[in-house]
Amino acid sequence: MIDFESLVKRFGDRTVLKGLSFTVQEGEIVFILGTSGTGKSVLLKTLVGLLRADGGRVRIAGEDVTDLSEENYLPIRRRCGMVFQHPALFDSLTIAENIAYGLMKHERLSLEEAMPRVRECLALVGLGGGDPSLQPDIQLETKLPTQISYGMQKRVSLARTVAVGPKILLFDEPTTGLDPVTTRQINHLIRDLSRKTKTTSMVVSHDMDCALEIADRIVVLDKGMIVEQGTVKEILDSKQPLVIDFLAEAKARTVEQ
Amino acid sequence: MTASLIRAFDGTFGILGEIGGCVRFVLKNIDVFFRKGVSRHEVFLQIWKVTLQSLPTTMMAGFFVGAIMTVQFAMQVEAYGAMGFLGGLSTSATIRQVGPLLIAFMLSGKVGAFTTAELGTMRVTEQIDAIRCLGADPYQELILPRMIAIVASSFALLTAGLLMSIFGGVLLAMGFAGINADEYLRHIPTIVKFPSVATGIFKCFIYALLLSAICTYKGFTADGGAKGVGRAVVQTAVATMVTLVVADWATSLVSESLLTMLLSIVSEMSQITESVKAGAVKGP
Repeated sequence: MIDFESLVKRFGDRTVLKGLSFTVQEGEIVFILGTSGTGKSVLLKTLVGLLRADGGRVRIAGEDVTDLSEENYLPIRRRCGMVFQHPALFDSLTIAENIAYGLMKHERLSLEEAMPRVRECLALVGLGGGDPSLQPDIQLETKLPTQISYGMQKRVSLARTVAVGPKILLFDEPTTGLDPVTTRQINHLIRDLSRKTKTTSMVVSHDMDCALEIADRIVVLDKGMIVEQGTVKEILDSKQPLVIDFLAEAKARTVEQ
Repeated sequence: MTASLIRAFDGTFGILGEIGGCVRFVLKNIDVFFRKGVSRHEVFLQIWKVTLQSLPTTMMAGFFVGAIMTVQFAMQVEAYGAMGFLGGLSTSATIRQVGPLLIAFMLSGKVGAFTTAELGTMRVTEQIDAIRCLGADPYQELILPRMIAIVASSFALLTAGLLMSIFGGVLLAMGFAGINADEYLRHIPTIVKFPSVATGIFKCFIYALLLSAICTYKGFTADGGAKGVGRAVVQTAVATMVTLVVADWATSLVSESLLTMLLSIVSEMSQITESVKAGAVKGP
């Protein structure tokens, strides 16, 4: 489904991605793990064309997208929903308008016409009116992003992304800045969404706990290069020092909790 | 010495790079406008916002500019016993020179800074990336409506500011120069003619275009978090002020030349028409 071949990305003199090559199969949930500044987010942004590769190739469903113009990238981006590190909700629009944004732009729907899909997506991320324990506030749709909590903003951001029906979901540190309970909820949400909507998912994170719980495959990056990759079992058996550090840190956190 | 030269060289090229970037940004917007168009709803929404944001300040400033010009001209024309021309002279100067510049400064302080801060915040919080990821074009969705709105609103604000300047001028003329409203207004139509109005509109258009280009460009290219947004706002304020003063000189020069040329063509054409008519009356 997604194929990176010898991917290189530079910012001035600094090479952030140093010839990455790996493939993500259709329907897989792949975690990209690594310490801060190793190029994880750059990898996702290069995939959706927000940044352009300086070397190597990127293919999505067999189509080489590396050198596509900004114009030709627009339909590709509709197939790749991206959830940003910040919720990145549009401040001046209500929650419903945020979620309906993609539908209003591409399918030329009015807000009223898009509302059934908006409610469906809100329910999908646990903010529907159907589950009072999760969200009793029926006025949520008309609120502005600044009027809801950060955790809810993250969920709405997820709802906005799935509303346009992408085949690939990309998550850039989806649980950064969240408490452990919300982190777990978001992680389960990612897993359930990927399974329910049958999408291929790439999750950038430094949370080994979460990766071990929901990933089909884990790719570990260090200084712009892949140092380890494999299934959860293979990662658990890895002798790679960085992976051992990550596992030890995850174990310590579990004990602490 | 060498280090200072290198810094000066870098600084010069930095400014040239910024100007080049801004020109490319405007050309990109023009290209998007002709290829994809722009949402009318969004344009009208932005016009409403911009006009509403700046109207009270512009009207107040217009009032005082009219008053100031009247006081200044009153002192000059009194010596020549030409107080009857006070209204016309003061209004002409406001329309041709002070009015458009004043509107541009007002817009720069209020709308320019606001637009840069708004777009800059959208940039650093990844909202612009989110628009791109949802398959939409941020130029079409964000930039073009704001640019068009700033240019369109500047005309409405110019009109409001000028009307208030006449009002301010009348009040000051009555209080300071001892002439009544009728006397003040009488010579406005005889002195404020098409060239004055055309110059004012031309300047207003150029200033609004420059302001809209600078503030949207600086906001769209902001980076580095909250500090970066703050830096972009300051750069917008400085760049617009400098650009407006330079543009004032350039537009005065261009508009005077254009108008002189236009008026000479018109007078030549009218002479030709009259001579043709005279020839037709005389007959063979």
